[in-house]
Amino acid sequence: MRTIELNHLTFTYPGRSFSLSIENQILADPMVAIVGQNGAGKSTLFKLLTGLLTPQAGVIKINGTDFNNLKPIEKLRQVGITFQNPDDQLFNPTVQREVEWSVAQVTDDRDKIATQALNALVRVGLDARIAENPYDLSLSERKLLSVATVLAVDPAIYLFDEPMMSLDWESRRKLTAIFHELADSGHQVVTITHDMDWVAAEFESVYVMEHGKFGFAGSPRELFSDHELVDRVGLLPPRIMAVAELLGDSQTYLSVDDYWQKNHDD
Amino acid sequence: MDEDKRIVVDNLTSRYPGTTQPQLRGINAEVQAGQVVGIIGNSHSGKSTLCRVLAGVISKIVSAEVEGQWRLFGRRVDDWPAYNAMTGVVLQNPAGQLSGLSDTVADEIAFDLINQGLAENLIQKRIEKVAAQMGLSAQLHLHPESLSGGQIQRLAIATAIATHPTVLILDDPTSEMDPLGRRQFFHWLAGVKDTTVLIVTSEIDDLCEIADSVWVMHDGQLVSKGTPGDVFNHLATDWQIPAPTITQLAQKMNWRMADGQYPVNAAELKEVRYAHN
Repeated sequence: MRTIELNHLTFTYPGRSFSLSIENQILADPMVAIVGQNGAGKSTLFKLLTGLLTPQAGVIKINGTDFNNLKPIEKLRQVGITFQNPDDQLFNPTVQREVEWSVAQVTDDRDKIATQALNALVRVGLDARIAENPYDLSLSERKLLSVATVLAVDPAIYLFDEPMMSLDWESRRKLTAIFHELADSGHQVVTITHDMDWVAAEFESVYVMEHGKFGFAGSPRELFSDHELVDRVGLLPPRIMAVAELLGDSQTYLSVDDYWQKNHDD
Repeated sequence: MDEDKRIVVDNLTSRYPGTTQPQLRGINAEVQAGQVVGIIGNSHSGKSTLCRVLAGVISKIVSAEVEGQWRLFGRRVDDWPAYNAMTGVVLQNPAGQLSGLSDTVADEIAFDLINQGLAENLIQKRIEKVAAQMGLSAQLHLHPESLSGGQIQRLAIATAIATHPTVLILDDPTSEMDPLGRRQFFHWLAGVKDTTVLIVTSEIDDLCEIADSVWVMHDGQLVSKGTPGDVFNHLATDWQIPAPTITQLAQKMNWRMADGQYPVNAAELKEVRYAHN
């Protein structure tokens, strides 16, 4: 089982009042969503989990091992991240070289580099575009390319920062399928997202961050049933709940199918 | 009808240099003054290219072959100063649209107003008004580069509307906003009067609450246009466009309106569920 364990973790930015403080938390489910307002600490947590930031105190254990004791190459094999803006991580002249560059950070085996890069591009549906400049792709395609750079390395744990943002519908379906494939094949997928329809429909485990802490951990149904919490942390419930509300029904629904299950006449 | 009172697009085709297939193929459409038109489609459908042509970015800034005609309220793009003054534009990657010359958000909003020669007290009032509309009042003194992606989008919109354009062209203006920001934006858009709006968006639930008309782009062609109800009741599978949540629910529950169509927005849903009971 893949796990992220956070023990007495604290981090503050110099000169800023924000502080992240997590006592003890284990993220153990295959697919985990992290939600919360801007400034709640979600991106800071991801930077700590990838080693971009170092905590002032506390321990991060990835699959049981202290993350800070891992060699850089081992960190890359354990945790891969896809940023919110793909342009923050694309800099090679072709689609193929972009993905190969990522694999080359963890292996010198040229055959392996070529094969893993191509397989990743096939998975995201960009294998016909390998010779193109990444910046000739659409924004949705650049996001899928940034996902391919991580898929090609195949870390144990995948972190995604707002993966659905700016994606067209075709790409959303593709990426959701990849999330489930990863979870089903023994990886852990942890994603920051503002997309509550997606969280409600696809995830079993959701964590709410609030003022640098975890304020809630549970299922989407538990989260969206707690109207006071949802309001306080500035989340919008899934659209199906707003639609039900129009009909005077304030029950918790996670999807259209969920509504139908509870309300259709046999 | 009088050409001065509508947008007319007549057999518009466009192709970027070095590409074999045109990005726009034979687009024909009309928009009446004051309407809100939603433009939807997947990547490479041509929706951003259409925005660029109508905004004059093609071919004033980006080169591309363009065939066919289009006029905004009788004006052609060749009459650039007048055409440009009519339009407020927010394209994809709004950070690239910032002037790069302003030290504060307020200065950035003021940029076009100063160029228009507006009096200083009027400029100040205009800045405060559009900043409030876009939820940026607390950010007016900040450097534009310190803003988040969603805030930069709101700044780009504030800048575009500050000059009171006749036509607003918005290419996915909420893509980086959080859900509350997106909801505030569509709430604002619902109240916009006297401006004709063309908006590319994937937020179809919000769009169906406010749009007079929806255009579906697919492979460079305008494959469907009509009221939100007409368009979302007749989606072709290969467009890969989902129906709004209300429509999906109504289809599942078999809630039809008197004309046999499924509802696409809150008003239609209420009509279906309450009008005949």
